Amino acid sequence: MVVNLSNRVLGTEVIEACRSGDREAFRVLYETYKDRVYSIALHFCHRDRAMASDVTQQVFLKLTTSIRRFRGDAEFSTWLYRLVVNACMDAARSRMPQAVGTDLSRMDTLAAPGSQEEDYAHTQMANSVREAVSALPPKFRIAVLLRYFDDLSYEQMAKALHCSMGTVASRLSRGHKLLAERLRDVTGTRPRRRE
Amino acid sequence: MCTRHVSRNLAAYIDGGLPPVNARQTEFHLEQCGSCRGECDQVRRGMAMVEHLSVIEAPEAIWFSIEAALQDNQQREIRMAGWWRWALAATVVLALAGGALWRLAQPAGARWEVVRLDGSPSVAAKPIGGKGQVGAGEWIETDARSRAVVKVGEIGSVEVAPNTFVGVVAARPGEHRLALVRGEIRAKITAPPRLFFVNTASGTAVDLGCEYTLHTSEDGFGTLQVTKGWVAFEWKGLESLVPAGASCQTRPKLGPGIPYFDDAPESVRRALEAFSLGNNRSEALSTILSESRVRDTLTLWHLLSRVEGGDRGRVFDRIAALTPVPAGVSREQVLELDPETLKRWKEELAWTW
Repeated sequence: MVVNLSNRVLGTEVIEACRSGDREAFRVLYETYKDRVYSIALHFCHRDRAMASDVTQQVFLKLTTSIRRFRGDAEFSTWLYRLVVNACMDAARSRMPQAVGTDLSRMDTLAAPGSQEEDYAHTQMANSVREAVSALPPKFRIAVLLRYFDDLSYEQMAKALHCSMGTVASRLSRGHKLLAERLRDVTGTRPRRRE
Repeated sequence: MCTRHVSRNLAAYIDGGLPPVNARQTEFHLEQCGSCRGECDQVRRGMAMVEHLSVIEAPEAIWFSIEAALQDNQQREIRMAGWWRWALAATVVLALAGGALWRLAQPAGARWEVVRLDGSPSVAAKPIGGKGQVGAGEWIETDARSRAVVKVGEIGSVEVAPNTFVGVVAARPGEHRLALVRGEIRAKITAPPRLFFVNTASGTAVDLGCEYTLHTSEDGFGTLQVTKGWVAFEWKGLESLVPAGASCQTRPKLGPGIPYFDDAPESVRRALEAFSLGNNRSEALSTILSESRVRDTLTLWHLLSRVEGGDRGRVFDRIAALTPVPAGVSREQVLELDPETLKRWKEELAWTW
């Protein structure tokens, strides 16, 4: 079972409005995807909030400049997650410079709501899982996170990850197997679900 | 007899992502091969483990920084466009081009002066000496012993209290917008309404020509206290109008609280707090209604749109008992929250606020 937030699907009119430069529409788009993008970035970037904030910011800024080129030949979410994958991989290769003079590293620690995060903060199981996910090789990690944080099909994941569906399946198999091996001593508890 | 191992496909098999033929082959193989069956269990277990990850809410600060960056880009584009216009004009009238050049050379995104009052406040993470400048996308931070004052274009000033983190989102003639992440600011604005805004995690303070203090904690709980004029505090269609001498509490995800006068009876303020928190709302509402003075119709008027059914009728009756209902305002229209009627009534009531 994956986290399914797909009830908040954007209508084409919102995307069209974004393409014509409508700032309000862009805010709607941002609100729809921001938590998923941030969560993927945060878990990918070893829980580094500043880096996750930078990745999220870069993704949406890139989106504003390139959405005019989005022709609807792919699903929007696939296209968006391709940006997320690129930004995460760039961040993994090198720590990204601060954007537009904004000191997000400090901003983030001050402004982060953290309520849902706090729910798990003291849960040993959740911590162990986070650590195990962080320790996965980047290509496995991003595949595992994409599968979990959005209900993408294997075809969509393949497009976002620039690889074949077979490679997606292989990375997911190996990634989850590695997780199970690293967490074999952790006794199972029921995860809390988001609605 | 085991066919080719299926390790690569196990995740897709579990997720139902394999074509039917491949799924049947995998299933058949798993029945025969203990090794792959073991791996399949591991992949399933790994997938179950991942469910312990939580979706984490993106900090509001990210949006502020995106907005600032977008405005920065927009201003850069305007400047570029301006240069092209100048270049064309220069070929026609050289004398005019000089003037155009001068005008276009002015920064489209203004920078505001920041003056140190105490300690060592910083702008964009760099401590300022006596004076500095701040522009869109940059942040001012004060520690426990620092204070600074920002000259907000031509429309007023904002004092930044100790332990405050505040950013400039927009710095242009039609929009002066700050983002207050934590701490306290005191704004003195002398400009037409709706030119100065302060974003917080729980809503936006919109200047209607005023002086006020806005405090917010890191988790978005805050207080708006107005000393002169009016401030509107807005969040997702919910609005509180706060006049001089009144305050309102703000809470993350709930937006602006119901405003109250600072000299309101303690019992009313306590009941309002309980009402806002959802603690024994009926009893709290009774206290608010019975203890309110004429001036507290500020609170009662805001309550009208935040209670339902019979309670709304009780609020109407209490206001009507405190001050005559003006012509053009009927009980039925108020109970239906007719916007024009509520506005008309507010304008009459405001004489007592």
